[in-house]
Amino acid sequence: MRIGIKELVLILAALAAGGLLFAWSGIFNIAASSGHWAITKWFLHYTMHQSVETHAMGIETPPLDDIAMVQRGAGHYATGCAPCHGAPGTERSPVALEMTPHPPTLVPHIEVFEPRELFWIVKNGVKYTGMPAWAGHERDDEVWSVVAFLLRLDELDEAGYRELAHGEAARRGEPLDGPVLAALGGAPPEPLAGCARCHGRDGNGRGTGAFPRLSGQSEAYLLASLLAYARETRNSGIMTPAVSGIGEGELARLAAHYARQAPPDTGSGPAPDEELVEQGRRIARDGVPVDGVPACLSCHGERRRPVYPALAGQHADYLAGQLRLFRDGGRGGTPFAHLMETVARRLDDGQIEAVSAFLASLPPEHATP
Amino acid sequence: MAELFWLMAGGAALIWVLVLGTAFYATRVRPRPHGEHVGRMLILGGGVAFPLVVLTSLLIYGLALMPELRAPGDGLKIRVSGEQWWWRVAYYRPGSDAPVHAANELRLPLGQRVELELDSPDVIHSLWIPPLAGKVDMIPGRTTRLVLEPTRTGTFRGVCAEFCGASHALMAFMVEVMEPEAFAAWLESEAAPARPAKDALARQGADLFLELGCGACHTVRGTEARGPVGPDLTHVGSRLSLAAGIMPNEPDAFARWIAEAEEIKPGSRMPSFNMLPARELDALAAWLESLQ
Repeated sequence: MRIGIKELVLILAALAAGGLLFAWSGIFNIAASSGHWAITKWFLHYTMHQSVETHAMGIETPPLDDIAMVQRGAGHYATGCAPCHGAPGTERSPVALEMTPHPPTLVPHIEVFEPRELFWIVKNGVKYTGMPAWAGHERDDEVWSVVAFLLRLDELDEAGYRELAHGEAARRGEPLDGPVLAALGGAPPEPLAGCARCHGRDGNGRGTGAFPRLSGQSEAYLLASLLAYARETRNSGIMTPAVSGIGEGELARLAAHYARQAPPDTGSGPAPDEELVEQGRRIARDGVPVDGVPACLSCHGERRRPVYPALAGQHADYLAGQLRLFRDGGRGGTPFAHLMETVARRLDDGQIEAVSAFLASLPPEHATP
Repeated sequence: MAELFWLMAGGAALIWVLVLGTAFYATRVRPRPHGEHVGRMLILGGGVAFPLVVLTSLLIYGLALMPELRAPGDGLKIRVSGEQWWWRVAYYRPGSDAPVHAANELRLPLGQRVELELDSPDVIHSLWIPPLAGKVDMIPGRTTRLVLEPTRTGTFRGVCAEFCGASHALMAFMVEVMEPEAFAAWLESEAAPARPAKDALARQGADLFLELGCGACHTVRGTEARGPVGPDLTHVGSRLSLAAGIMPNEPDAFARWIAEAEEIKPGSRMPSFNMLPARELDALAAWLESLQ
């Protein structure tokens, strides 16, 4: 029998009808507990790998060896990724292991992918697997931090991982959750434990530019920023999940806690480049009138609205990163944030670096109550 | 200049009559061909010699008037810089190096030749006060000049006459021609620093102005606000208009401008402060309005 166009159409229609009948009948077992056939598993993985490879083409990989990036990525990994993917010394959650497909432990898989492919997966997630996309819009810098950490994951033993992800609590050998944190005065123990992993209980961070220094900031600014993260008016795939589920009352207590902390006496960072600092000093004090850039210190100087942050002694990398986000429109923030967008748009990369270096070199202010 | 106009108008009328007269003569009075010699004389005389003589003498006369245009003013010099989308103004009094800064308004003394030096830091603008003079372009990297000698007092409106971006149509200014004594008194008070706020609301506004960082862009002489980016506001309350000739100078308009600058003047560098509560906007407006 010859198969003509008419027969072909009939066959296709019959197949479609059969498919619909199969779906309608409910015979297919959608249960996660039933797993996949080996061939299905192979086919799905093959499709996923091909898709990632194709979609990650053309993504440029920034330098990923900065310890600050690794720390930032580790801090997020511990809460955002480890429950499903495990970590050195931490098993995957038994709940996650009941998913189909199982979320894999990552070490053997990381080397299969290029860094740009890891970036694409972390940023976009993977359909039909439970792997979510990144929660913060326009925060590729955060996604790259996670990639920077993933590339170090295979070198880490349990102690190394805990040090990276849990900071001071791990260093002091404290158990990593629960009652340790009860000694923290008025602040609620659990949320503060989460903050302290990265920012330290004294708000001074981890000695690198990985996390902004919170000590010396006003309560008004800290609370407005926490609320901005919670309401997603400030973009961050790290901070928004971290503050979600914490009530406004507790956020206020956290803000009050950090506003009470004393900053260190000296500016942050390594000995800065004199010339760069001088250039930054001119921008911070006088602005760049020809380009319409006002002086930073007219708003961020000592006589300022409490909801404006203190910049003196803040980490240069953090400041530069925020200025770039303001400039490129991905930052958001408190209801005053748009004032910075219009200013940052008039700064070039060199000016951003210079002014950040200068502000970082200043001794931090102490928050006025 | 008026002389030149009347001379041109009179001459043009004369020539018009002459041409029509010739046409009338050629069609009605003597509608027959002329001899070759007469024709040649008409072409050479009326088509070559006459225009040559008339145009050359007009050119010489016109050029002779030029030095008067470039003649220096009577001493007062005003630098006007067109910026997206407002006017930076600085008065240089004769014998004084220190400029008196102002914005979005020109005040001129009656009967004095005033020299305007025009430039721009961003794109080409053009200063045009139709009742007073022709337009003169303001070109980045170049200084152009305009000398004005107003002959009657009054308030005139000027505009930017060269498309300069999104809010070009919202870039205007007021010109006030004053009696020389009144002008001198005004310039004296314009040069003085701002008077301290009197009532409580204005005082609160003055504090807010600094606390919010308005002084990052704006100068109010006599306070800590020394920003060079936007208009000098030292005596903003005494100006004839607000936001470069587009709003009345009233407290409500101030509050609205502060809250909605980006909406009112799209693309302007002044951000909207719509996150401020109404009472703070009112306080700021009261303080700015009090800067007489």
